[in-house]
Formats: sequence, structure tokens, C-alpha cells
Amino acid sequence: MYPKKNIMLLVVLCLALVLSACSGGNGNGKNGGSDPAPGNTGTAQNGEEKKPAEELSKVELVWYYPQPAIPSDLKSVESKVNELIEPKINATVKLMPLAFGDYTQKMNTVIASGEKADIVWTSNWNFNYVQNQSKGAFIPLDELIDRYAPDVKASMPDFVWEATRIDGQIYGVPNYQTVTNREGFVLQKEFYDLYKPEAEMKQLADLAPLLEQVKQKHPDLIPFAVGRQGMFSYMNRTYGLESVLANIAVIHLDNPDKIVNMYETEEYRQYLDTMRDFYEKGYINEDAATLKSIGDYQKAGQAVGGFHNVLKPGGEAEAKAAQGGKDMQYAFTTDAYVGTNTIITTLQAIPVHSGNPERAMMLINLVNTDPELFNLLAFGIEGTHYNKKSDGSVELVPDSTYTASDWVFGNVFNGYTLAGKDPNVAKETKELNESATPSPIIGFKFVTESVSAEIANVTTVIDEYGPGLNTGTVAADRILEEFQGKLKQAGIDRVIEEAQRQLDEWKASVQ
Amino acid sequence: MTTRKPKAAPIVINLFFAVLSAAILAPLLLVVAISLSSEESLLHNGYRFIPAQWDTFAYEIVLRNPLQLLQAYQVTIGVTIIGTACALLMTSMAAYAVSRRDYRYRRPTLLFIVFTMLFNGGLVPFYILVTQYLNLKDTLAALIVPYLVSPFYLLIMKGFLEKLPVEIFDSAKIDGASEWRIFLRIVLPLSTPALATVGLFISFAYWNDWWLGLLFIDEQKLVPLQLLLYRIMDTIEFISANMDLVNVNLTMAKFPSLSTRMAMAVLAAGPMMFVFPMFQRYFVAGLTVGSVKS
Repeated sequence: MYPKKNIMLLVVLCLALVLSACSGGNGNGKNGGSDPAPGNTGTAQNGEEKKPAEELSKVELVWYYPQPAIPSDLKSVESKVNELIEPKINATVKLMPLAFGDYTQKMNTVIASGEKADIVWTSNWNFNYVQNQSKGAFIPLDELIDRYAPDVKASMPDFVWEATRIDGQIYGVPNYQTVTNREGFVLQKEFYDLYKPEAEMKQLADLAPLLEQVKQKHPDLIPFAVGRQGMFSYMNRTYGLESVLANIAVIHLDNPDKIVNMYETEEYRQYLDTMRDFYEKGYINEDAATLKSIGDYQKAGQAVGGFHNVLKPGGEAEAKAAQGGKDMQYAFTTDAYVGTNTIITTLQAIPVHSGNPERAMMLINLVNTDPELFNLLAFGIEGTHYNKKSDGSVELVPDSTYTASDWVFGNVFNGYTLAGKDPNVAKETKELNESATPSPIIGFKFVTESVSAEIANVTTVIDEYGPGLNTGTVAADRILEEFQGKLKQAGIDRVIEEAQRQLDEWKASVQ
Repeated sequence: MTTRKPKAAPIVINLFFAVLSAAILAPLLLVVAISLSSEESLLHNGYRFIPAQWDTFAYEIVLRNPLQLLQAYQVTIGVTIIGTACALLMTSMAAYAVSRRDYRYRRPTLLFIVFTMLFNGGLVPFYILVTQYLNLKDTLAALIVPYLVSPFYLLIMKGFLEKLPVEIFDSAKIDGASEWRIFLRIVLPLSTPALATVGLFISFAYWNDWWLGLLFIDEQKLVPLQLLLYRIMDTIEFISANMDLVNVNLTMAKFPSLSTRMAMAVLAAGPMMFVFPMFQRYFVAGLTVGSVKS
């Protein structure tokens, strides 16, 4: 037999193999991605509204998008979709839903290997829009949108389109839904009604009287539920800041030209002191620094208070389900606002190796303008997967073989209302979208590639110090300084500098 | 000279393994217990070995639509059986070739094999090779072919085969046996212990694999069991990590509850747990016979 040493060597070699297989990468670093859309077939067609379908040869489009689970009855929906779209654009579509958890990894291989794909879903939180654009994965869409999807363009406010622009070009068509964020407390209504303080609650500290009451009278409940990340990254607006790079760089809203290190702001220090105070008084769950998610406390109905950064019309009713059936009440700390990152959360892009960008855009146009098509994708086939009720709302069949998240496909305002949901919510959301204050730096996107090593180091430091500090488990006095020093060593200043440089450049290009 | 006093060593050893077995068994039992608890009691009481409230609701949910699970089972069982048989044949043939000292290109061949353990083209070229040159996307072969020859198992096999006395081959040759005949009639029967051991490893690799499925399978009917589970768990993990920061509407209510997930895990792992002990004695024999060689 082999001596033990050799076996160990083999094991190590094997691990090396596995690791190198995992780190296989995105060598496909074409930059720019500025090839114009290929195939301007024929002469200028601007006079006609649309090309008649007969002129187009038949093609099959491939559409990748993520879903919570892959529906088992995809085929019947797909063939219905094709019945609808084939007469209109002489194309069929192959639907390729992937699970959310797999999406980024799978799409990286699809894009890098040049596999056939005509429409791909992208966002700022899964299969990153900015990052992939900078790799040259997508084609610019301005011309295609003007030509084939003018109605879609008109259906959304201008700032929504501004937010999608990179280097002045649109690379993704947003799926229009709620584009605003609004921060505030989410409290169990019962206690809110009982102990609501006189003064409006606009800051974290304003919540203290209510929490004190809950603490005194209901020792079995958690007055303020906090997970290990703490709350500060959700509370930027409440403190008059706006995030440029999540958890690292922010701007002050009253001085939007200057990017600063989030952990050196006065606001962060204030936050830490308030949290420490809360923790010492026992308002915060003791396991906060190690708790991955407060979801279980909420489901058990034990979390009286929490903070959330995406409060939206109709959200209180939705929150009820996640909070063990307790009625919830919002207490807003900010007005509704829009920033780049509240908009680019769901988009359709056309990859560079799509053979049929025009047809892909026609399909995007159809999905966003034809409610029948959108509802088919979002809810399935009437009678099989859902039933229409007399008031126009729809009810999903129990254990349906086709369920989907509608905001992945297109304009959700074209969709049916689910039974039991307030039909006014859509209207309110739309109004809020149009009336919200846009961020002073809307449209700016930080391309992090050149400082990715520093960001990785900084993130490691944050993971080390963040949970203790952000949850109030340890006092800021001594530790904060140590934390700031470690961040500097990790290169946070270079990240801020690079962000500032890009912001200055962007400012110059917009004006 | 028999002494009634028990010796310390066996007690310590037994105790050690008893603790070890308990440590291995406990999580499994816990999974079963969670799958049989009601969701509510899980939230209030946390995990318990004896559920506060017994509930088979999770199994009802999973089994209400068992088609997907059954299909996934079929795929995984098929892949494991075919894959293990093919991979064993390929591995032993290659290992036999490089174990023969009279094979002139022994060193280059060995280098060629070991080289792939250290260096490889990376994920994307691998993906392109399988999907565009071998055209294996959405086929069962995509789940089998990439694991046919693993250099690690090949080296284990080679280590065993090298210990076979060369004289046997010589005498067989003198008796007029061809190389094929020597391999099939002499080498393979003599190396059953090694075949069993390596075969066990290979079959585990196939049984536990979700990675190939993730890369190459889009067709729902061909999704292997582990991928089915992995997808559910991974997606839940991903969503709960990211959802808070994004203003899209996705409620966790759409995902299976904790007890349902555990029920799926039990249904997925359960049969293997019963099948394995039946084969176990062969495997144990294989492992030990291999190591006793002088």
C-alpha cells in the first residue's frame, strides 16, 4: 500500500482540483459592449409603425429568468404564450426559468460560453446588471426601444430610464413595479395603539418610550428584533444619508457630491450609541449578534418592533402573514424616494450574442403592453392554474402546477389583482412612483471591478466587527476606533477614492 | 491465565466509538424529528428530539405531488448504476495499463492523468466542451460522462493492481491468453476488493452529485434527486439573505416550511440508509482486504 503521506498528498491534490474547478471564471472580459445592434434590415422603416409579420423569418427566442421554484407545468404555458406571440412577431419563445439560488452561477456560464440566449433577466442583487454590462455582456437598447417599444418607454417616468443608463446608454428594460423605497418602523398594531408616544417617531431613539412599555409589561416578547447585520444599512435615509456602495460608502443628502466612509460618519456613531442603549436596557434580543435572520421570531409573533427599508402600499397586510398573523402598523421615518438601486432591481437585457435583438425587443414590448400575455406568464392558464372571480380578481388553484413571481416578466401594473388583496394598492403604488423624490445622484452606478480586492478585504473586516457593534452587543467607545483602523488597513480609502472619481466623472458627463 | 478484570483499552475504544456513533446518529434523528413536528411547535420550542406536537402534515404536502420526487429518484438511481458500472470499467482498464511495468509509455500516461488533477481548463471551457462539442446538454450522459475517470480513484486502483504478482501475467501469457483475457479473467477477479472499494466511492460520487445537473440539465424530467433538494435549500438561503434589501415582492410563504424541507430530506436520504447496510459487509471486506496486502 501507499504510505500515508502519499494518500494525504493525493487528497490535497484532489482538493486543489475541486477548488480550481470552482474558481473557473469569466474570462470573457470584452469591454465596452458597444457593438451596435446588428442587422438593420432594409432601409429606414421609421415611417411604418411596425414591420409586418410576414417580412420576418420565423425564429425561436430563448428567455432566461429566475423563479422561486421551477413550475412543473411550464410546457403548457409556453405553448399558450407561443400561440399568442407567433402571429404578432412570427417568433416563438423558449422559457428558461432557473431557481433564484442558481441564477447568477448559471447565467455566468451561459453568457461566457456564448450559449443561445435572447433575453436575460438581470438586477442589482442577482446576476448583477452593472457588473455584467461592464464585462460587455449586454447590448445597448436605446435604438431598439425607440423603434420597437415606444409604448413601453412612455409607460414609465423618465427617471426610471435614467437609472438604467450606463455611460449614457440603456442596457436593460425595467419591469415596472414599485420603484420607491420608504424607511420606517414596522410595529405590532396592538402595541402601537397602546403605547404610541406623543411625538412622531422619526429617529431610532424616538422609539424608546414604546419599547420601554413593552419591556415592562410583556417580558416574554422581544421589543425590538435585530439580526446580526444590525439596522444601519437599512436606515441610511433616516439618518440623511444615501448608500453608494452597500455597507461601505455613502453620501450625505445635503452634500451629494462627496462620497464618505459610512463607518466614519457622525450618524453611524449616533446609531451605535442608541443601539447600545437599547441593548443594555434589554429592548433587543440577546442573540442579535449571532442571529442570521429575525424571520423565526417574526413568524412566532414575538417580534413587537422592527425596522424595514422597503415599506410600500399594501405592505402592512403582507407583513401580517410573516409576523405570525399579528396586525402590523407602519411608522414612516422618511418620505418615499427613488434611487438607482430602488429601480434596477428587475430588468430585461439582451445579451451580445443574441442573434435576434430586434425580435427580442418586440417580445419585451409585447410582454409589457399586452396584459393577456403578461397575465399568462404571471398566473398561468385560466381554469387550469387560476380562476377569475366576479370582481375581476383572480384566485390561484391550490397546489397549482404553475406559479410565478410576476415582477420578473414585465410591467406588473398590467397584471390581475390576487383575490383578497386591496385593488387600490396598484394605483397607490403607481402614484407614489410618480410623486417620489428622486435621489440627487440617480443614474450613478459604481463599477467596483478595479477595487474588488479592497472591497473583499473590507467586507471581511465588517463581518468581524459589524455584528457586535451594529446590534449594540458591544459598546462603541473603544472598539469603533479599532474597527475604523482595520478598515483603513483593508483599503477602504481606496474604495472611497475610486467611487469619488467615478462620481465626478459621471457628474461631468451628465451636465 | 484468564483474568476477569476487564482491560481498559477495549472499554475506551468502545466508548469512543459509541460516542462517535451517537454523534453521527443524532443529527439524522433530529432531521426525522423535525420532519414530524408541526411548524408552530418548531417556532415556539425550537428543535427537539421528541416533537412537542406530532404532525405528519409535512409528508402529506410532499407526497401530494410525488411525481417530481419519483422522477428524480429514477434519474439518480439510473445514473448511479450505469455510471458506476461504466466508470469502474474505464478506471480499472486505465489503471491496469499504467500499473504494468512493461508498458513503455507508462510514465507519460501517468503524467497525463496526474496533470489533470492539478490543472484544468476551468468552468467555462468545461461547459463549452460538454454542451457544444459533445452535445450532451439535457441528456443523461451529461450526468455520467464527466465522472467516468477520476484520476484519484485511478491512482488508488493502480496502487492495488501494482501489487499483483507479475508472474501470473507471464504464466497466463505462456498459456496463450490474450491481454484482454488476462484482464477479464485474471486481473478483474483478483481485484474484487479494490473494485468494491473504488466502486463504492464512485457510486457515492454519482449519488451525491448535483453540480453536473445544475450545469447541464434544464429539462425537468432529468433533474437528479440531489439537485432537486439543493435548489430548494439554496434558493431559500439566497432569498432570505438578499430579500430585505430589495424592493421586489417575494414572500417566504411561497417556500416549503422547515418541516417540509426536512421531510424531503428524509424521503431523499431514507432509502439509501436502508440499502447501504445490506451491501456494507462487502464494502468493509473490500476496504480491509485491500489494506492487508503485504
